[in-house]
Amino acid sequence: MTTTQNGQAPEPTEAAPYLIPLNAVFDDDFLEILVPVMSNNTIAELAGAVAQHVEGVRVPARDAEKVVLFDGRRLAPNLTVAEAGIAPLDHVRVDYAS
Amino acid sequence: MTMLKREDWQDLARDVEWDYSYVDHEAVYPDWQSGTGKVPREAWAKWEESYKVTYPEYVANQNGKETSAYAVKAAMQRSKAFENLDEGWKSSTKMHFGGVTLVEFMGQIGELRMARFGLNGGWRNMAVFGALDESRHTQITMITGHEFVARDPQYDWTQKAFHTNDWAAIALRSLFDGMIAAPNVVDLAIQLPLMFETGFTNLQFVALAADALGAGDINFANMISSIQTDEARHAQQGGPTLEILMEHDPVRAQWIVDKYFWLSARAFSALTGPGMDYYAPVGERKQSYREFMEEWIIDQFGRTLRDYGLKKPWYWDDFMAGLDVWHHSLHLGFWFWRPTVWWNPVAGVGRDERAWLQEKYPNWETIYGPKWDTIIANINSGQVEKTLPATLPWLCNTCHLPNCNPTFGRDGRWRVRNWPVSYNGVTYHFCSNVCRQIWWEDRDGLNNPTVVERFLAGEIQPMDVPGILAWMGITPDVAGDDGHQYAWAAEYLPAQPAAAAGA
Repeated sequence: MTTTQNGQAPEPTEAAPYLIPLNAVFDDDFLEILVPVMSNNTIAELAGAVAQHVEGVRVPARDAEKVVLFDGRRLAPNLTVAEAGIAPLDHVRVDYAS
Repeated sequence: MTMLKREDWQDLARDVEWDYSYVDHEAVYPDWQSGTGKVPREAWAKWEESYKVTYPEYVANQNGKETSAYAVKAAMQRSKAFENLDEGWKSSTKMHFGGVTLVEFMGQIGELRMARFGLNGGWRNMAVFGALDESRHTQITMITGHEFVARDPQYDWTQKAFHTNDWAAIALRSLFDGMIAAPNVVDLAIQLPLMFETGFTNLQFVALAADALGAGDINFANMISSIQTDEARHAQQGGPTLEILMEHDPVRAQWIVDKYFWLSARAFSALTGPGMDYYAPVGERKQSYREFMEEWIIDQFGRTLRDYGLKKPWYWDDFMAGLDVWHHSLHLGFWFWRPTVWWNPVAGVGRDERAWLQEKYPNWETIYGPKWDTIIANINSGQVEKTLPATLPWLCNTCHLPNCNPTFGRDGRWRVRNWPVSYNGVTYHFCSNVCRQIWWEDRDGLNNPTVVERFLAGEIQPMDVPGILAWMGITPDVAGDDGHQYAWAAEYLPAQPAAAAGA
């Protein structure tokens, strides 16, 4: 078993967060855009990162929940990007829920 | 001395061929350059074109065209015409100068390649005239654009655009590298003279000449009309080449035609569509871009298909649907990413203009109305910064234009659909199913990363908007801005009460 210099077992560590550039589209926007997120961002944070480029910019802002669709699935907002299995260059769609 | 009659010597002079005794035919006409493929060598003896111009005739004709074109140019230089041109029209010309001038030079290289590697003496002769044509086109376009550099530095991109990493220039370079620089000359003769010059240059040269006259730019109309007279002749190299290829390898012929009709259509939707439907003043528009495409391009293409026994491309429905979408999206993209281009895009969405767009394109308000309304609200509330880009559009790995083609789906909405493919561990994204298919067929011959790929590979530093602009060669004096300084948005402001208005 590996121990530290003081003889104690190391704290379990998570992998360092890494950059995940995404191909993203928001709601009815007219094009796909490049949006970088970090692997430890939550899906809710991903939705916000995509929306900031489009919502109230080219698509009218609505007071509605945003959902992230990836690979045909609607992702839970509290998952991290890494937990959701999203990899660099993947495509995500962010939609209003209703 | 008695001169021989033209018909007594011309066939012999223009169809010179001989057998080689010191090298074999393959050494002189290697297949990777000459591209005969499945076509037997002797089949090229049938190659024939109808112009059969002689060099003295060519020189006399071209001298007349040059004298006439430069006389008009000299006369217009003394006038005040330039000062009176609308920024929308000026932007159309800036797009043309930057997007076309060095393509003419590439055309010259293509003609010279056919002059060297063409598989028939008459073809090689015709290509020499074509090379001289393209040299003239480069020169006259360059000098016409250069004339305005002192008045507006964006015209400097007449010469500069193709030497930069500007995303629009990369898209055009990618297209013409594949069309002109890389292929064997059989493919080249079908891709450039037939698909591009016969099929599409009418769009840029006839439509734009009409728009130039409407805008009062006689100099520009004169320039491109003079160029188009040459295109009609040297574009004839494509027909006889396609005829022979259809006889011996129709599958290859069909693929080349399908591919370059699509890729040319994509490029022209960017280069010509915004100018016709947005930059030209609404009162001076004779036809919409779609109407012009239907009359001048689709009819012509249909004749080509019938004349040579080709089938309609597999993607025809997608192409026709794109006529209502592609150039509108590209226009919005040019306008929103305006700091990245070398002209000043005119929004072209005042109330009268939107009524015209809706009449010509019945889905325009549904697809684009809410987006422009959001932009207008931001301008009118003093938030112009919200109408400027903070990230890159995703660019298609085939046409290098943004992935911006909404389609009407079973969900009852006009939405951008994702067209990905994974290959060798990398995911690529395309603007359309057709661009994806073309990429897949050609995947092992392509090596032209998009701006997004170059950005993600760390080629662009710093990795922010100023870094991207600097990498593209865009300087503050050249970066595009709204062509009418946002004045057009004021008509959407709420009407002021009469008392306040009169105060």
